[in-house]
Amino acid sequence: MPVRHVQIWLDGTPHQVPETLTVAAAVLQLRGWQGYRRHVDGSPRAPLCMMGVCQECLITIDGRANRQGCLEPVAEGMRIERQGGSVHDA
Amino acid sequence: MMPDVCATDIAIIGAGPAGMAAAVRLAKVGHRPVVFDMNATPGGQIYRQLSELQVSEAVMGKDYARGRELIDAFQRADIDYRPGTRVWWADNDALGTSLGVLEKGQTQHWQARQLILAGGAMERGWPFRGWQLPGVMNAGAAQILLKQGALVPATPPVLAGTGPLLYLLAWQYLRAGIPPSLILDTAPATRYGEVVRQSRRAWFARSYLFKGARMIGALKRAGVPIHQGITTLEAQGDKAVESIGYRHRGQWKTHSTELLLTHFGVTPEPQLARSLGLTHHWHASQQSFVPQRDDTLAVGANLWIAGDGGGIGGAINAEREGQLAALAVLDKIGQGDPEWQRERHALLKARRRDLEARSLLESMFRLPEAWLDDQPEETLVCRCESVSRGELDRAIAQGGAGPNQLKAFTRCGMGPCQGRQCGESVTRLLARRLGWTPEAVGYYHIRPPVHSITLGELATKE
Repeated sequence: MPVRHVQIWLDGTPHQVPETLTVAAAVLQLRGWQGYRRHVDGSPRAPLCMMGVCQECLITIDGRANRQGCLEPVAEGMRIERQGGSVHDA
Repeated sequence: MMPDVCATDIAIIGAGPAGMAAAVRLAKVGHRPVVFDMNATPGGQIYRQLSELQVSEAVMGKDYARGRELIDAFQRADIDYRPGTRVWWADNDALGTSLGVLEKGQTQHWQARQLILAGGAMERGWPFRGWQLPGVMNAGAAQILLKQGALVPATPPVLAGTGPLLYLLAWQYLRAGIPPSLILDTAPATRYGEVVRQSRRAWFARSYLFKGARMIGALKRAGVPIHQGITTLEAQGDKAVESIGYRHRGQWKTHSTELLLTHFGVTPEPQLARSLGLTHHWHASQQSFVPQRDDTLAVGANLWIAGDGGGIGGAINAEREGQLAALAVLDKIGQGDPEWQRERHALLKARRRDLEARSLLESMFRLPEAWLDDQPEETLVCRCESVSRGELDRAIAQGGAGPNQLKAFTRCGMGPCQGRQCGESVTRLLARRLGWTPEAVGYYHIRPPVHSITLGELATKE
């Protein structure tokens, strides 16, 4: 099943990923579970539910912080930045 | 400034099997319902990505492919489908339901005369030590990754918890060539006794049971160890999961893994129904709160709930409930047809049988009521605000006698997930500690916005 790829930027580095992925799935595919996000309490966190419930996938997309990465599909030229703890999750 | 109001006769929230089936049935008689869907493509969680299939039927199984027909009908029908939208506010009165809808960063105000809620279910939040570590993920989430693009783990995962989805995912991984290294089931091995004790239900559930037996058989033949009667589970590691610990037949064991996929059943996504102030009851067999519906699935004068959001019945039942809700809406607006009686009776009969079958599965995969009691103090109950079981117990000891009091005392449930992950656990813990029923303990008061929304989005007029 051939699938079209799009170019996204993750923390400033370009990557080709299948267009069927959501942002959270793309980040997990590229980087694994480690280092997805740092929580306000300082602990490392990663997506739990992938269906818009748990809010563990919060990530900065095209300059907007705290987006639910599991709900937004990747798009050509999208800029994604992982949140290192400086952005409050509330 | 609030934007102008968009009006519709019929709105549906959710495009899983219930929402799609309701929309298709309404379109069949000339209506054009508005369907709000949080996802980018129709199908809900169960049929996710089926419209642009990424992984073969040989891996996913026949039940997944079954949704194809419904998605095709939904895409062919004249329906005002709005993917990528979030209903963050709802208010119901005699005239209908007002909805705050977020679409592409802009907020819209909708007024729907009739509304079908088909928001579905979510995987139950089930606390254990270390469940906040990266590398712990819900089994359903792992399955979503699989559906999105055959994303599979680099090393064999451990699957733990209970319920049909746990074994379905294990089987799908086996078919994809990466069998789990271990399956840990919290249900006791004696559960098969239920099949004998509830033979009438077992007959209704026979297709589920055969399917389950086939999957477990395939896993065992492939040499995947399955341990039943697991009483404690923990994820261990510094920055991510390195190993897991568990108690089996009274013995503490550890196992090395980078990925722990857990499943402790599904529960209705409560937020919109709760924020509308609908009456809920504790369902003893499903071990969760469900909204109170009448025989026509109505929860108000112009409001219905179809599918798993009204209690867990599975995808096929959700499809039937979608059709039933559509027929009820048509009756309500005076467009019912006596010829549909037979259709309605057949749907209701099938629904009764399916729910009977479901109750057998519920008793086979029953969750341990005392689970939280056996958890160490530091186990997080609320992941968002990092509130531990110990902190909650101290708040209870200080007189916190209800979920809303515990929220005020500890911030439990006040984070971005708005209590979706911890709400039931808080009810359970209070019920155990106070010796009350979960029904008497109740649940958090849920108020809009039920999705996080920025001030900018709120202020942007379409």
